[in-house]
Amino acid sequence: MINPLDLTGKHILVTGASSGIGKATAIYISKLGAKVTLVARNEKKLEDTLSKLEGEGHSVYPFDLKQVEEIEGLINNIVSQKGALNGLVHCSGIATMRPLSMTRTAFLHDMMLLNFYAYVELIRCSSKKNNFTEGASFIGISSARSISGDKSQTAYCSSKAAMDAATRCMAKELATKKIRVNTVIAGFIKTAMYDMFVGNAGEEAVNSYILGRQYLGMGETVDVANAVAYLLSDAAKFITGTGLIVDGGFLS
Amino acid sequence: MTTQEKLAMLEEIMELESGSLNAGTKLEDLEEWNSMAALALIALMDEEFNKILTGKQIKEFKTVQDILDFME
Repeated sequence: MINPLDLTGKHILVTGASSGIGKATAIYISKLGAKVTLVARNEKKLEDTLSKLEGEGHSVYPFDLKQVEEIEGLINNIVSQKGALNGLVHCSGIATMRPLSMTRTAFLHDMMLLNFYAYVELIRCSSKKNNFTEGASFIGISSARSISGDKSQTAYCSSKAAMDAATRCMAKELATKKIRVNTVIAGFIKTAMYDMFVGNAGEEAVNSYILGRQYLGMGETVDVANAVAYLLSDAAKFITGTGLIVDGGFLS
Repeated sequence: MTTQEKLAMLEEIMELESGSLNAGTKLEDLEEWNSMAALALIALMDEEFNKILTGKQIKEFKTVQDILDFME
């Protein structure tokens, strides 16, 4: 019997591993054999994720990815202590809603810092010689909102679209290094972030708007984790520079 | 910050004429008080007052005075 999603012995860095999609992804890929390095701001929450991982060799690196200039040092530390990366999954992100009238440059910048600048910087640093292994797979968690806009989402949608555009460029540039780069374009997934969204937008509006379009219902974090695992695995060795849509039909 | 200044901020996020709001104004009577205005208010509280306002708290606001009280 074969397991196409086998990640045995692969060293995978997961950002945003303290909650939501990042946490679920870390747990899931550990069950597929990956050695997972967890990054997020909150050490206590990271330790909780760590306690739920299967297998050995995992570690936590509490870090605020908004300190983009410090990411190079972080990656160098991780590689020297835990070995070169077979993969990277950038799940950290914010999704604050704000009407255009309040979307000033400082707010846009704050959104781009974590959702976009940190993503590019993570890949820039991880794709340096000796920091990755041949066949490495780098993944960003994007959103169906990168394609389908909405009121009060100018900053968020733009940051995710930037992520997708950068992914296409980096994939071409890093192909010679045998690194693949992709995003997972997620629909609405049941997380604490989603609950905050519902709290702000109102449950009624959300139900009629989202579930009307996302006709497979609400997504679960494991749905995204499955797609991530696939893109990390050698089963996806011919896939790069694209966004894998996992949205319960939202964009169709 | 004076009450007048706070009212002016609320008028701005709802794009109301200057001087059209007073503390006793009922939010349900304002056509401009909608989901976008509520999101703008969350941003305003965050940026100008350093306060976290939730959707649940917003639902409890009945009058402009309730919002002014939250700004304290």
